[in-house]
Amino acid sequence: MTLYKYFIKRLALTIPTLIGVSIIVFLLIHMIPGDPIDIMMGDRITDEAREAMREILGLDLPLHVQYWQWFTSAMQGDLGISIRSSQPVFQEILDRLPATVELTLVALFIAVLFGILFGVTAARHRNTIIDQSMIGFSLLGVSIPIFWLGMMLIFFFSVMLGWLPVSGRLSMGTAIPSLTGLYLIDALLSGNISGFVDALKHLLLPAFSLATVSLALVVRVTRSSMLDVLSEDYIRTARAKGLRERKVVYVHALKNAMIPVVTVIGLQLAKLMGGAILTETVFSWPGIGRLLINAIGFRDYPVVQGVVLFVAFAFIFMNIIVDMLYAYLDPRIRYE
Amino acid sequence: MNSEFKQIITVYKKSKLAVAAFFIALILMVLAFTGPYIAPYDPVEINLSQRFEPGFWEGNTEHILGTDNLGRDMFSRIIAGARISLSVGYAVIAITAVAGMFIGLVSGYFGGVVDIVIMRFIDILLAFPPLLLALVIAATLGTGLDRAMLAIAIIYIPSLARIVRGSVLTVKEMPYVEASRAMGGGNIWIILGHVLPNVITPVIVYLTLLLGDAILYTAALGFLGVGIDPSSPEWGAMLSGGKDFLILGQWWITVFPGIMIFLAVLSFNLFGDGLREAVDSKLRL
Repeated sequence: MTLYKYFIKRLALTIPTLIGVSIIVFLLIHMIPGDPIDIMMGDRITDEAREAMREILGLDLPLHVQYWQWFTSAMQGDLGISIRSSQPVFQEILDRLPATVELTLVALFIAVLFGILFGVTAARHRNTIIDQSMIGFSLLGVSIPIFWLGMMLIFFFSVMLGWLPVSGRLSMGTAIPSLTGLYLIDALLSGNISGFVDALKHLLLPAFSLATVSLALVVRVTRSSMLDVLSEDYIRTARAKGLRERKVVYVHALKNAMIPVVTVIGLQLAKLMGGAILTETVFSWPGIGRLLINAIGFRDYPVVQGVVLFVAFAFIFMNIIVDMLYAYLDPRIRYE
Repeated sequence: MNSEFKQIITVYKKSKLAVAAFFIALILMVLAFTGPYIAPYDPVEINLSQRFEPGFWEGNTEHILGTDNLGRDMFSRIIAGARISLSVGYAVIAITAVAGMFIGLVSGYFGGVVDIVIMRFIDILLAFPPLLLALVIAATLGTGLDRAMLAIAIIYIPSLARIVRGSVLTVKEMPYVEASRAMGGGNIWIILGHVLPNVITPVIVYLTLLLGDAILYTAALGFLGVGIDPSSPEWGAMLSGGKDFLILGQWWITVFPGIMIFLAVLSFNLFGDGLREAVDSKLRL
């Protein structure tokens, strides 16, 4: 099977899941006890306004008709109107998407780069103090609540040392022209070095907090996978040929040790998306997670529904991309 | 005590870390059980004349871990928090075990349309990022510890059901199941008498590894203020309440509850890991 055919097949298999996810999201919001208009508006409106609103929101129609209307408009990018801001929900999501994407990508980068580096270092120095401390670090990393870690980092680096900002994406008065919405890239593209430094300073603590759990797991898997590979015959051959140790480790061993590591990195997507909700709350990071939590607090149900549907769909599509990556790296998968 | 159990304990005791974790977990459990008797103050009693008092590091012997922004005793709140976190954790495990095993047994044993429908539904639940699913369910159900338990359990039920179903598919083809059926055994008899005892080991291993994770999710919901009352002495909710005061220098309101979450999660994770290794080594023998 070619990669293209595999992709089409994988995509077709996703359609029932997408529909199922949309039904669950739709029903969950409708399962909230009480009249949705009461919950959203409280006692603030008259009976006429209440009836008018019921009609506008389509709440007087049968459930399956409501679902179908909601689903077909959602597929066209219409997720309804936010009760709090009166903005289209889809626009609210798009406005905040780059902040979340930037945070998650930088966290993933930190987790992968340092995770592999630490993991390889630990494997090369097996049973030494370096190895022990890397194992200890990864043990602590998977158990630490990242929202607490974020707060402690703020206390240490922002409050005590005053090195890094407490929250937000940019300092007051700093402006970066919005091209992609990813401030680091926008600042570089527009040659705004001070803007880049400012954005980076704001990004460091949240990205590091978010990266911790994944980083710890990547260290663990890289170490054990590397130890397995380093004991293989072909590594002994490479050493016997007189290759330098650095080349043996980073060129010959690392490539084969990477397969389980890629699997773990793929599994981190869900962790990072959940973690982003927590990290954004700690650092007042204006992303999608913050949008969701605020919407839950304000009972702004169109936004809750829209964000959950959007994130769940994004998660499903990212999983397809990860699967495609495996299929590319390991052709055996395509023939299963 | 039977010999299998002894063997598992012998292997478990070899890991010093796992033994230390076991004792920390034990202390936490004792704290949770005896909490109301050893807590010096009422964990929810507000005392505005004693706000922001630092603890023992400034010689405070009345409130050894200080007081929070409403003058509540931090030490008492932390003990009360142990009770909440552990009871939510255990309840999540109980709900997951019962629901996950039931769904997995039914799906795997009966097969056919039932199996297809259940498995599709499980695939759909697994398509959500876990925290997102717990959040939206907690937001739907409203505030309350019982609802938070349910919201967190729904994260794990699909995975457990899948594990059980997988084991059932293997077990139900075994000759002893066929023999029992030939002797006139009914479905319930076969499921409870033959299938269940043979799929229980992976279930127990999965459940022990789950406690630390469930405590972490409880704290996350408390921190986000979804499903758990923000004023309750839940560790995550305490962190959220103390967040603004951290920047002002009142660090003890966030440091201690955080350490407790960390210790609880770490000790239960190490305990679960140790147990899994001990059980695995027993299986290998």
